[in-house]
Amino acid sequence: MFESFSSLMYGFSIALDPINLFYVFIGVFAGTIIGMLPGLGPISALALMIPITFSMDPSSGLILMAGVYYGAIFGGSTSSILLNAPGVAGTVATSFDGYPMARQGKAGKALAIAAYASFVGGTISVIGLMLIAPLLSKVAVSFGPPEYFALMILGLTAVVSLSDKSLVKGLIAAVFGMMVSIVGIDLQTGTERYTFNSLNMLDGIDFLVVALGVFALAEVFVMLLRGDDNKGEKRKAIGSLKLSGAEVKEIAGPVGRSSVLGFFIGVLPGAGATIGSFLGYSMEKRIAKDGDTFGKGNIKGVAAPEAANNAACGGSFVPLLTLGVPGSGTTAVLLGALLVMGVTPGPMMMETRPDVFWGVIASMYIGNVFLLALNLPFIPLIAKILDAPRPLLLAMILIFCMVGVYGMNFNIFDLVMLLVFGLIGLVMRLYGFPAAPMILGLILGALMEESMRRALQISGGDWSIFIDKPISLWLLVIALLSLTAPSLKKLYQKARTARA
Amino acid sequence: MLPRKTWSLRSAATALTLSIAAVGLSSAALADWTPSKPVEYIAPANPGGGWDTLVRTTANTIRAEDLAPVNFAAINIPGGGGSVAWAQIARDEKNDHKLFATSPPIILVPLSGRSRFDHNDFTPIARLITDYSIVLVRADSPYQTINDLFDAMKENPSLSIGGGSAAGSMDHIAVAGAAGAAGLNAASVNYIAFSGGGEVMTNLRGGHIAAGVTGAGESSAQLEDGMLRALAVSSPERIHGPLADVPTYVEQGIDYTFDIWRGVMGPKGMSAEAVTYYQDLFARMQETDNWKESRDRLGWYDAYQNSEEFGKFLDEQYELFSSVLSDLGLLAN
Amino acid sequence: MTRINHNQVLAVILGLFSIVYLWMAFQIPTFPIPRPVDSDAFPKALGSAILLLSIFLFFEKAGEKTIEVEDKGHVGFSFTSPRMQVVVTSVGVLAYAFLIEPLGFVLASSLLMFLLAIYYGYRAWLTNLATTLGIVLSLYFVMTRAVGVHLPPGILPF
Repeated sequence: MFESFSSLMYGFSIALDPINLFYVFIGVFAGTIIGMLPGLGPISALALMIPITFSMDPSSGLILMAGVYYGAIFGGSTSSILLNAPGVAGTVATSFDGYPMARQGKAGKALAIAAYASFVGGTISVIGLMLIAPLLSKVAVSFGPPEYFALMILGLTAVVSLSDKSLVKGLIAAVFGMMVSIVGIDLQTGTERYTFNSLNMLDGIDFLVVALGVFALAEVFVMLLRGDDNKGEKRKAIGSLKLSGAEVKEIAGPVGRSSVLGFFIGVLPGAGATIGSFLGYSMEKRIAKDGDTFGKGNIKGVAAPEAANNAACGGSFVPLLTLGVPGSGTTAVLLGALLVMGVTPGPMMMETRPDVFWGVIASMYIGNVFLLALNLPFIPLIAKILDAPRPLLLAMILIFCMVGVYGMNFNIFDLVMLLVFGLIGLVMRLYGFPAAPMILGLILGALMEESMRRALQISGGDWSIFIDKPISLWLLVIALLSLTAPSLKKLYQKARTARA
Repeated sequence: MLPRKTWSLRSAATALTLSIAAVGLSSAALADWTPSKPVEYIAPANPGGGWDTLVRTTANTIRAEDLAPVNFAAINIPGGGGSVAWAQIARDEKNDHKLFATSPPIILVPLSGRSRFDHNDFTPIARLITDYSIVLVRADSPYQTINDLFDAMKENPSLSIGGGSAAGSMDHIAVAGAAGAAGLNAASVNYIAFSGGGEVMTNLRGGHIAAGVTGAGESSAQLEDGMLRALAVSSPERIHGPLADVPTYVEQGIDYTFDIWRGVMGPKGMSAEAVTYYQDLFARMQETDNWKESRDRLGWYDAYQNSEEFGKFLDEQYELFSSVLSDLGLLAN
Repeated sequence: MTRINHNQVLAVILGLFSIVYLWMAFQIPTFPIPRPVDSDAFPKALGSAILLLSIFLFFEKAGEKTIEVEDKGHVGFSFTSPRMQVVVTSVGVLAYAFLIEPLGFVLASSLLMFLLAIYYGYRAWLTNLATTLGIVLSLYFVMTRAVGVHLPPGILPF
């Protein structure tokens, strides 16, 4: 404990160096902007920074790039909430309740909650990083294919709680999402599946293309169909940023729980902010007494995924800094950048380059404070976008989506896919198919299939591998319980009323 | 000036080698061509991978050492293990201001039927570096030598060997080829495909797989904490640096080497003058201290070949990979 | 009620879709090296699941439509009816996809945004033009200059 405290002090001595303070600031500022622009994620931004950081001191370079990364996750909630257009993949779940809040004239509050929750999630993850990073690397390696499979199954049980009216429609949406997720080259065999012999489909369909189509573009279509503004829904006060004491109390629990959950999910290579935020969201929806108001502008539905995705972002530094292994595309770029700067990340990095390790951790504390201070004053300003006349706003959302999608790969095929998924999203909205289970199927489907097949290949086709491993067994038991708990609860209540 | 007509003659590899020979002969006379606008320097993958690192490192070195009058602009075109970028570059015949990073997938991917374009559709510029394949196990594993592992695989074919690329691609070929050379049935290797070398390392550390195969360069830091042990490296002789203790396959009685080479190619029909210019540029680059420093840090080994030698080398690699893939039954017809 | 409801229509469409999907799953080649679970297993499971679920859907009671389409005041065909607006917007997205490279980012984006805003009923064309140019140009310069993302310049000189 004392040891990590003195190490952290050492880290602060690096992070508080004026030049590094400047890099933290630039990093989180650029990150926030990049996060707000739909589609343009941290990966491409970081790749473009490699030449800039080339000649920097490695700790400064990583401080700057890490700032861009968590700044983007922090800022990504803005367009999710205001426009239903997720800025980065990790903030899709934020739009479930953030966008309804904005439509109800509570955009300011939604953005403020997102900022506070992000701050807390980010800070908790830094504390976790500081205290137990080496321990966590053991957690990361203890997850092999069977454990991932079980985790994915647990994640998929959330479909039940995410499909509000009709379970059948929720399941259809989830299966459809999985169908989309497996398009492309199958890693295990190199076989193409559902690519229609198109080069553009070899790597599958980009997650953000689907998310922007099903959420933002479909929302534009729905707004067009609804005709001019609306019935009872008074536009468009931004509302107050202030949270009442009761509201703070209400979100404290979800923020705390989701931060811890998100952090652990982030630690696992291959999982990350998107899965973390979904699991945080669905966990809170299940726990909450007013779970049925999730998706209709519940403040907990904004707080939970925002805390989780920022915590997951911090967690993803664990495998990078303690094992030298990237857990995601973004951390892979960070690893590449470190190599270029002359640091070889590996299991000994904490010993060989304490300046990098502790410097970046300390800078994250500072960065999170900067982010909060940067974002809060701008909320009223940014939220003004909703005051734009409706025709202009619609046209603007369209342009934002298309720039984001095009900017990812510079491929016009992606724009066509955006339209396809926009229309699919519209049909789903018209006939009451929930979009959240589909997105869940999309992010978990391919990972579930891959880990299942890897596990079975390791075991030589023996299915008992999933229950022989304790972690995997426990995750499956929890999954089973979470599916049966509601009906057990009902049975129990029935029995009690019968006795009474 | 060299008549460009040599390029239009080409039909498959023979003509390509001819034309390259012509380039090689006249290289001294043609040193006067220089690029007139920024060179598009393409990594056919996402940021963070091997191609990307090569492109960015060489572009940085060229800029830092002021070797070229124009900028080499790194561009990522990800997709299909390279095939998306190849299809785009193939459309851009005769462009003297376009280069891309290349490595064994330019041969493997077309052989497995996933790209219409192969190495014959592009102009080899230079081979730059090589890395080697390495087999790792956990330190507490019973296998002390590569032969221990292969013997155990003979007994128990379900022993899992993890690699960081899809079945039928680099890591799979590397380990299956070695197993074949050691007298095993190459197709019997229980190869588990992970989506990157990092995942292989965590799964190996966690004891989820029996052994892992990855690039030697990226493995050296992983060996530092003593959790993992290297059984064999695919170089012809022991490599120097941190991996000097790792025995080669050849030392252990298995006649097998495998290069993870990386180089640069351009579009088909690039002018002979430009080819000469670029091959000489890269040769000069590899002499700079800046390059040597980056190269050592990244765990690469210089393996320069000029355009002509690289072209011949590619044809040999084509033969080699076709035979391994056909042993595996993965050769597309 | 003898008329079929929209759930039943959707169920039939989904059923047909799942049959095509399953047919394609059966075309996936077997991997030459035997695998406990091959590439085709998961798609077959997914296709069957949709087929099964579509049967359930067929017998599920249809809820109300979730979105009221606003088409009062639009008798017969109208270019500005809500349905037509969805069609025109879709065509706009497609046109944008094919024009962004030849025309360039700035021109294509400005045209689309400006024209769509007018089409959606925005009359203040000067404000429209100013906002459009402001947003598109700032996006363009942030992307190309600050972030360094290359967007097609097209026929404009910058």
